[in-house]
Amino acid sequence: MKYLLRRLLLAIPVIILVTIMVFSLMHLIPGDPATVILGQEATPEAVLAMRHNLGLDKPIVIQYLTWLWGVLHGNLGRSLVDNTPVASLIFQRLAATLELTLGTFIVALLIAIPAGILSAARQGTWVDYISSGFALGGMSIPHFWLGMMFIVLFAVKLGWLPASGYVPFTQNPGANMAAMIMPMVATGLREAAVLMRMVRSSLLEVMDAEYIRTAYSKGLKERTVILKHALKNAFVPVLTSSGLMIAGLLGGLVITESIFSIPGYGKLIVDSIFTRDFVTVQGAILVSALLVVVVNLVVDLLYTVIDPRIKVGKGAGV
Amino acid sequence: MFKKFKAPLAAAVIGLMLVATGCGTAASTTAAGSGNSSAPKDGGTLNVALSSDAPKLDPAFSSSVYDRYVFQSLFDKLVDIDKDGKIVPMLADKWDISPDGLTYTFHLHQGVKFTDGTDFNADAVKFNFERDMDKASPRKGELGEVKSVTVVDPNTVKVELKEPFSPFLSILTDRAGMMVSPTAAQKEGADFANNPVGTGPFKFQGRVKGSTITLVKNSNYWQKGLPHLDSVVFKIITDANVAATNLKSGQVDITDWRFPTKEIQNFQKDSNFTIVNKPGQGYVGFYVNVTKPPFDNKYARQAIDVLVDRDALVNLIKNGAATPAHSPFSAGNLAYGDSDKAPKPDLAKAKELLAKGGISNGFSFTFKTGTSPDNQRMAEMLQNMLKPAGITMNIEKLEFGTMLDQTTKGDFQASALGWSGRPDPDQNIYDDVLTNGSMNYGKYTNPQVDQLMKAARKEQDSAKRKAIYDQAMTILNDELPYIYFYHENNVVGFSKHVQGFNYVSDGLIRTVGMWKN
Repeated sequence: MKYLLRRLLLAIPVIILVTIMVFSLMHLIPGDPATVILGQEATPEAVLAMRHNLGLDKPIVIQYLTWLWGVLHGNLGRSLVDNTPVASLIFQRLAATLELTLGTFIVALLIAIPAGILSAARQGTWVDYISSGFALGGMSIPHFWLGMMFIVLFAVKLGWLPASGYVPFTQNPGANMAAMIMPMVATGLREAAVLMRMVRSSLLEVMDAEYIRTAYSKGLKERTVILKHALKNAFVPVLTSSGLMIAGLLGGLVITESIFSIPGYGKLIVDSIFTRDFVTVQGAILVSALLVVVVNLVVDLLYTVIDPRIKVGKGAGV
Repeated sequence: MFKKFKAPLAAAVIGLMLVATGCGTAASTTAAGSGNSSAPKDGGTLNVALSSDAPKLDPAFSSSVYDRYVFQSLFDKLVDIDKDGKIVPMLADKWDISPDGLTYTFHLHQGVKFTDGTDFNADAVKFNFERDMDKASPRKGELGEVKSVTVVDPNTVKVELKEPFSPFLSILTDRAGMMVSPTAAQKEGADFANNPVGTGPFKFQGRVKGSTITLVKNSNYWQKGLPHLDSVVFKIITDANVAATNLKSGQVDITDWRFPTKEIQNFQKDSNFTIVNKPGQGYVGFYVNVTKPPFDNKYARQAIDVLVDRDALVNLIKNGAATPAHSPFSAGNLAYGDSDKAPKPDLAKAKELLAKGGISNGFSFTFKTGTSPDNQRMAEMLQNMLKPAGITMNIEKLEFGTMLDQTTKGDFQASALGWSGRPDPDQNIYDDVLTNGSMNYGKYTNPQVDQLMKAARKEQDSAKRKAIYDQAMTILNDELPYIYFYHENNVVGFSKHVQGFNYVSDGLIRTVGMWKN
């Protein structure tokens, strides 16, 4: 508990630093919201008036502190473009991305774990070559291309799945899954490739350890040795990279989201950067920084479950 | 944080619609619209692919063409343009123009209500004009000639102009003529864009930003028997190829004007689809900064003009769905004519011009352009077209907001900003070439052109107006403050289930009379 509290407190300066960096970087991009909102036809007079309406004529430090003050009071502010509360934009978008992230992760696990184990156990055989080939392909084939190919095949040629048309899971689970399966598999395949390499190499490393030889010499079956002894020990690095993967996916699915027209989180951030909607970008990045902190914390806690030798908290140096 | 660094990559991949601002005209093929024989059927949902989200659903503060797509279903205007380009009654049944062209009296349709139940009347019209003339509204410039708006009686409004202004009615066919509910506008304030209320055939139901905008039927619509559809859903699909795929698979019924040109032939062969491929109203080309070297030298500009192979650009970038341009006026515009005839590429002449300008060894400059594949392809083609004359063109690719910022501030030598186009010639040229005009980013100035621009908007007679524009274009085509490349076509694709679509030259989709089989 104490450990948890300490970790969360440590996250506060990190997050504040992130907001300051985002805030200053956003203001460094040429083109302010007023210019972008008003477009080509705007007169300089209209731009000035718009800047004033949006509060952009105030000193940048004041703008930041006003925003921070709002955040501390649970108010993420309103979009500069259309005045929607940022919290509701984030809420709308986060559900889709969390679902996509989770689905991608499950697809990745379902493929990577068995394939990784098989290729480690059968190192140097055709099984290994096939799965390594798959991994190489998975990492080299751009997932946006794969996504487009999926659409052409499953939506246009075969007509099995819709090419787009995300609906929230709570509204219509069937339609939601139909729209989400292609993007999940398209990105999942790529992530599976990365993860599979990780499973394979850490398993191979463990397989050389003495306790594995001991296990074999006790007369245990290969299956038992790998699944009971080796896999558990090989899992720590896999868990670390899974954590990083999930954190990366939360904001990094923007291309998949674009191709499948999913109103996701990455798209929210990118679109808001294009429209110079500072307030939305700040709010969204703040929330995603929080999520990354939480994911990392969960990963750290999971280490102790997998490997009891790892201790968190006092003297553990985490 | 690192998401930030992913933005440029994402921009490169998804930022296709950024040329949104530039479009144009051409003369091409295909059906005029569908409007088939079968009797209209009520019900159903029309799914429309939009190539960019509609940022601001408030006519007074909108600056995006994609807002205008949605507005056609939400808001009625005082007057509209029809498929022949004629100005026709909408919320105003008729109007009188005083002989001096200074007073417009609008007689409003009676018994019209906004979808919040309040009355549409003369007070509402006055309110809307005044709201559009707010200093932060992009409409202020369009309505710059309006002196006063007077309520004569509940169904009659008188608008006085400072000077005769012949584009006035044409301007009212777009956002400046759209009527929003004064009650809702006052109640919602800055939030109006999230709860827009008009008198249109459809009401706003909700939106998921970046994904969908849902409108539902206004069952008390003032035009009896309309609309036919139960709802209209705009799906934001930023990649034109993905939009076409969605059309094919049935998730989308109709695309906006950015149907991918390379798919035109494929879809035309398929009897399940109709492709409308018609001249648009805008143009693509580049601004040259006449205050900075090398383009402060007229001959440098003229050399570029005769080196650009416009036919090649049209064929390779737009797959033929565009026409070479030499003026802002496309086919169908009242000022369109010989001034739009573009020169053929002529290297010898370019060299001659460069010699005349004292730059026979050529020169180099930087061209600022967007990040879309079309932008990139065009930039590379231009680079190769200019090279034989010793002109080195460096390409600087910029994300749209950055390019807009730098261009509007005059921080460029050449910038690829185009124009989506408007029905009246004035709206396609006035502010671009007038001294200190709001879109005169290249800082061109010529008192004679200024005088002609002002005369043209005062002139009421179309033939005389055209003569004035011809005169102005003779000067402008010699001085070249903007180099026009082509008028892009509006290409709309729709499925055979879609009926009652009438193509209007602004390329927008008017859903009021449409239905689905």
